[in-house]
Amino acid sequence: MTELASGPGPLRQCVELARKDLRAETRAGEALLVIAPFGAVALLLVPLAVGADTPLLRELGPGLYWVVVLLVGMLVTLRASTVDGPAQLELLRLCGITPATRLAGRALANAVLLLGVQAVLAPVAVMLYDPDLSGWAWLLPVALLVAGGLGVLGALADALAQGLAGRTTLGPLLVAPLAVPLLLGATQVLTAARYDRGPWPWLVLMLTADLVAALATVLVAAHLEEA
Amino acid sequence: MMPRSARLPVVAGVAVAAGLAGAMLAPPDRLQGELVRLMYVHVPAAWLAFLSFGVTFVASVAWLWRRRPGADRIAAASAEIGVFFTGLAIALGSIWGKPTWGVWWTWDPRLVTTALMFFVYLGYLALRRATVDPLSRARRSAVFGVVAFVQVPIVHLSVLWWRTLHQPPTVLQPGDPTIDHSMLAALLGNLAAFTLVFAVLLRERIRLAADEDAADAAQHTGDRGLAGDAVAAPRMEDSGV
Repeated sequence: MTELASGPGPLRQCVELARKDLRAETRAGEALLVIAPFGAVALLLVPLAVGADTPLLRELGPGLYWVVVLLVGMLVTLRASTVDGPAQLELLRLCGITPATRLAGRALANAVLLLGVQAVLAPVAVMLYDPDLSGWAWLLPVALLVAGGLGVLGALADALAQGLAGRTTLGPLLVAPLAVPLLLGATQVLTAARYDRGPWPWLVLMLTADLVAALATVLVAAHLEEA
Repeated sequence: MMPRSARLPVVAGVAVAAGLAGAMLAPPDRLQGELVRLMYVHVPAAWLAFLSFGVTFVASVAWLWRRRPGADRIAAASAEIGVFFTGLAIALGSIWGKPTWGVWWTWDPRLVTTALMFFVYLGYLALRRATVDPLSRARRSAVFGVVAFVQVPIVHLSVLWWRTLHQPPTVLQPGDPTIDHSMLAALLGNLAAFTLVFAVLLRERIRLAADEDAADAAQHTGDRGLAGDAVAAPRMEDSGV
């Protein structure tokens, strides 16, 4: 009764919004059935361009995997706003959902989808490139940090480019340069683990990038509301 | 009598001429020889990039706070100037790098972070171009102008955070600058001259933006005649109807 009177808290709202996005994705299946296979095709094309040199591909594999995750991830995160019409946004506003909560919900859904895309692409990369997998356990925090950071940056860029004609090309231009700390961290953690060096500095770099992106998004979210 | 608006460009022009003369008169470097003279344009160009993006950040915050169109014009004008001077700094650095390091480009943290800053602000300008409605454009670009500024301290501190080929700070460091004082004087003179150039460019671009806004507003208020007004109705006097 108390919850009915006061309404659900921001955390619950955020989770419900993420569930709404994920339900829409389950029905459409675009991220996992179209975009992730496109990423797999990109992983397949690279060796054809650079040559089928197995030792070279083994070295390049982890880096190429993260580049493809970054590029494909932008496609995943930047298509969400196409389903948000002005009427839907108005309804959410009338329900008392703040812009920060709305963006957080979108970022959460993005992160879950990106984890799915990473899970689809990882076995493809292992199969095609046969990379050195020593220290693979570090991939788990790396995958979470990449998904979280890219999810937040994608949600912010998606909100910035919402409704614009060049949204699909503008979004990646806004996100890609800001996502470089995530790419650097993701590639260097495995390299550090392979040479028995502590990968902590790279994880801290990624966590810092995630926190800065999240903080900036929360601070500016209210200003993205159309008057 | 020189009009007031022409004084700043004249002063800036004289300052740039004096600064470049100082650059030519400064002694050559012990190791790099005459190549070091590129520094007198490369460093001011990089300084102007930082200054421009700093102005864009402040003007973006000001727009989000007060919502005045003038702040949006300042932010946009300054970002355009910043992108130009970032490109100039990268190009000059590349020309300087070829004889010094042996390559046009190297994967040095300072170079990479500067290139990223260039693309971040290209994205800012692309966002502005893609948004037609002035209010929406100002809002979106102000938000991105605040977020994008995070790149500026990263570029400045990259030479301290990572091992790099690029020169670490020689002027903005504690203690006596590690540069010959006559070279330092020429460098500071050029920094001041380029700052005046920035002021001139910023003022002119803001004026142009204000004129563009006024023209857009006039076009949208419908003060022009309707299409077809110039066509006269057919006269029937001769037919007696």
